[in-house]
Amino acid sequence: METEKKSRLRKFWESISIVLRSPTAAVGLAIVLFWVFVAIFAPLLAPHDPLAQDASAINQGPSPTYPLGTDNLGRDILSRLIYGSRVILILAPVSVLASVIVGTVLGLVGGYFGGIVDEIVMRILDAVMAFPTILLYLIIIAAIGPSPLNVVLAITFVGAPGIARLVRGLTLDIRTRDYIRAAEARGESALYIMFVEILPNARGPLIIDALLRVGYAIFAIGTLGFLGLGLPPPTPDWGGMISEARKYIWTNPLGVLWPALAIASLVVGLNLFADGLREETMRYQ
Amino acid sequence: MARYILRRLGFMLLTMFLVSIAVFLISEVAPGDVARHILGQFATPEQVELLRDQMGLDEPLYVRYFDWLIGNDWRLRRLVGMPLKQVLIPGRADAEWYAIAPDGTMLQWKMKQEGLVEIRVTPDGERTEVLFDGWLVDENGEEYFWGVDTAGHVVLWKKGEAGREVGPASAGRAMIEASGVEYYPIRRGLLRGDPGISFRTNRPVGPTLARRLRNSLSLAGIAFVVIMPIALVLGVLAGLREGSPLDRTISLFSLITTSVPEFASGVFLILVFAFWLKVLPGAAVFPDDTAPLQNPKLLILPVLTLTLVEVGYVARMTRASMAEVMNAPYIRTAFLKGLPYWRIVFKHALRNALIAPITVIMLHVNWLVGGIVVVESVFGYPGLGMYLLDSALFKDINAIEAGAMVMVALAVGSQLVADIIYTFLNPRIRYT
Repeated sequence: METEKKSRLRKFWESISIVLRSPTAAVGLAIVLFWVFVAIFAPLLAPHDPLAQDASAINQGPSPTYPLGTDNLGRDILSRLIYGSRVILILAPVSVLASVIVGTVLGLVGGYFGGIVDEIVMRILDAVMAFPTILLYLIIIAAIGPSPLNVVLAITFVGAPGIARLVRGLTLDIRTRDYIRAAEARGESALYIMFVEILPNARGPLIIDALLRVGYAIFAIGTLGFLGLGLPPPTPDWGGMISEARKYIWTNPLGVLWPALAIASLVVGLNLFADGLREETMRYQ
Repeated sequence: MARYILRRLGFMLLTMFLVSIAVFLISEVAPGDVARHILGQFATPEQVELLRDQMGLDEPLYVRYFDWLIGNDWRLRRLVGMPLKQVLIPGRADAEWYAIAPDGTMLQWKMKQEGLVEIRVTPDGERTEVLFDGWLVDENGEEYFWGVDTAGHVVLWKKGEAGREVGPASAGRAMIEASGVEYYPIRRGLLRGDPGISFRTNRPVGPTLARRLRNSLSLAGIAFVVIMPIALVLGVLAGLREGSPLDRTISLFSLITTSVPEFASGVFLILVFAFWLKVLPGAAVFPDDTAPLQNPKLLILPVLTLTLVEVGYVARMTRASMAEVMNAPYIRTAFLKGLPYWRIVFKHALRNALIAPITVIMLHVNWLVGGIVVVESVFGYPGLGMYLLDSALFKDINAIEAGAMVMVALAVGSQLVADIIYTFLNPRIRYT
């Protein structure tokens, strides 16, 4: 028991050190960890209440009280950025997790049962994938209204087909292995075979794919916020902050710069990390 | 090959059909009422009810869907008893609906102070108005008449009944005409080339959509011409020597520019070029309906934004493909034969290496469309994306449906083109 735990820990450290061997991945991880730190300790780091309005300081540049300036309602941009990292760092993984769950189930079912089930599932997913992504977002959010749940739903709907295809491909391959035949000979149920025998063996590519998708999800949440389809105000939402500050770019140009820098750095960090991870694991294999 | 293309075209039509149903269903369950939206929050329930009737929103869902798809003039002509025709009178902006009398005179009716007036337009354009007296009598002894009004509705008028009392109309629409008892908007249907009237602008969707599509296609076309050479050259240079400092630099650069969302890179570009350097306009607002190509300066920043995001993606694809080809046995053979380096690259490697990126690029149109919506929004560019975004936020179903059809046709059509190009580039592939 003790040795198993130890070897697991060592394995974890080994994989971390593999990733850190690539400088770009290390930089990416550092950026992501910075934002995770900011999100966790938001109440301690934020100098002001992100929703508090100061009528005497509207659209101001940086000052000692407001280090990054204020927005059009006199709210502290730094505090809104700090709390905005919480929103995005919760929503993005949750929506990726949701699309991984939906996509995995569809892919396992289609790949394991094959035949007409597979055909139906794949045709529906093809139709969804033929849709321009942005149109799906527009229609879903415009129809059901902006809210955190709906953002997650929209991203799940758009992301699940890709994951389902990946899992289906892996399942088709794994299904032919001897241990699956052994499990079938033992009389295991289809559910057991799909989730206990196949899924753990498909985990590697799935995790890398999911990591890359967190970057896309942040990209998508930012885009939705920017288009006015994200979180309803006054929630501090980076995309929404940019589209608001965009209107006052001539009076307060820095107001639009900070949230744009924040979201750009977070997506770049995540993608650097995921890309380095993918490259290193490929070399490792 | 021909059969394959036909089957794919069939699949495209099927997808468009399913999408159109899905959009109708989704907007049906969506909260909010577009009639209330148009009239504003101070309109009375009677006014909202009347506008819903005039827009045909009180019909059952399937009737509205088929009216949208194949039109309803063939159904409504039975009520009027005369053929209905859409005619563009010279000097008017939009085509109007008329009932065509047996002698070719075009007829419309309008309720005025003195009663129902018949407007007659002869084929040579002569316009006369006479007081109407052709009322019919129903089984209850009430005098009624089904006619065509001046705003494209088939209307049931009853004599002595001025319709519903709805009070003065509020903001939104200048006036709600309320003389009739029942209204049906006349439509020719999408399949017959009429996407309907936009609820948001009260103008036909078709011409607006065509103009917006032209603007978006010019933006996308220019961006494509800028992106492709840069991306292919960068990708080939990086892929030629995998792992070299040049490769590392290009790969890192493309990963970063691709990761930055369009709205963020657009904002950076506006700040640098429009705000601090003051060399380019920060918004692409056209003074009138001039084509974007006549104002090239306005296009620079939107194209640059799209380029930043897309170049990296295409360059990475090209790099991966080029690196794979450079490691292939036949390239090593060519080197061992002692062929000159550039000859190997151009004659042997490039042709095989470019197959993958070119198809990937066509499949990438979906992504590009999304990028264009955001870029249009950043710069206020009057394109298809902005039109769709505004329509979706307004629940303008005719405009959403028409825009969605165009987008799906573009997306599925470009995939088909990609597959066809692929068969030409790669003779090993045969579709049947």
